[in-house]
Amino acid sequence: MQKTKFPAVVATFLVCYAFWVLLTWSFKAQELAVGAGVSFLVALFAARFFIHEDAGWLFNPARFLKCIGYWLVIFPGELIKANLNMAKICFGGCTNINPGIVKVPTAMKSDYGLAAVSNSITLTPGTITMETAEDENGQNYLYVHWIDVKETDPEKAGEAIKGTMEKALKEVWQ
Amino acid sequence: MRIVIDIFLVIGLYFALAGTIGIIKMPDVFSRMQASTCVATLGMLCIAIAGILYAAFYMHNAGAAIKIAVIGLMVMVTNPIGSHVLARGAYKAGIRPEQKMEVDELGRDFDE
Repeated sequence: MQKTKFPAVVATFLVCYAFWVLLTWSFKAQELAVGAGVSFLVALFAARFFIHEDAGWLFNPARFLKCIGYWLVIFPGELIKANLNMAKICFGGCTNINPGIVKVPTAMKSDYGLAAVSNSITLTPGTITMETAEDENGQNYLYVHWIDVKETDPEKAGEAIKGTMEKALKEVWQ
Repeated sequence: MRIVIDIFLVIGLYFALAGTIGIIKMPDVFSRMQASTCVATLGMLCIAIAGILYAAFYMHNAGAAIKIAVIGLMVMVTNPIGSHVLARGAYKAGIRPEQKMEVDELGRDFDE
């Protein structure tokens, strides 16, 4: 566990406050003030469990818009494709599967990028990220359980699993 | 509008059914977990969208619609973390599929 840093507190505070506003859905001054106080206290104590990086990308409009665009346009497309595939396998009696764990390299460096890529992979049915590893050159690898292994070559498997998603995410996080 | 809501419900139920069949019929833990993702993503999302539309157009209640959206968002945020930790924990606890896997690079890299 790391020491609490200020950017982490700010990021956690913003998320907590957004959830407060969404869940109460009232804009009276006193409710907003109480929400801010509670969110700040929670952020102070809970921030050390979360990602420790500058959340400055939130305030960069271009990157923020690209992030929203990813979660609203590109990711649902991938999700629907993978879901149709999975439904086909399930209604086909679950016999034509070919499971395995492949190790794929990822271009992501930052914690935000890694978290986004591995969570996107886990959310698409058919692939689950099981472990991350870093080699001595700073190259990050993901171990992915794949229900229907088509490629065993790391580069090609990575392209098949997360090609479009990673290209879009690289514009937001490195 | 009623028809749109019904279509979303039917799509959601279709994927939920697919995931449930997968959970019952898949041969090992990891494959079952893959099938369960189907229920938690498109199955849940389509039903949540139907709920949002119903709350917005029939109940005229913006608060309820936003709460359903937050529920959908929370499931989308927590589900991958849960399945990742479950799969990793199962693997680390020594559970292996009966049928031989196509490749097993996690085993190759960490088991020796």
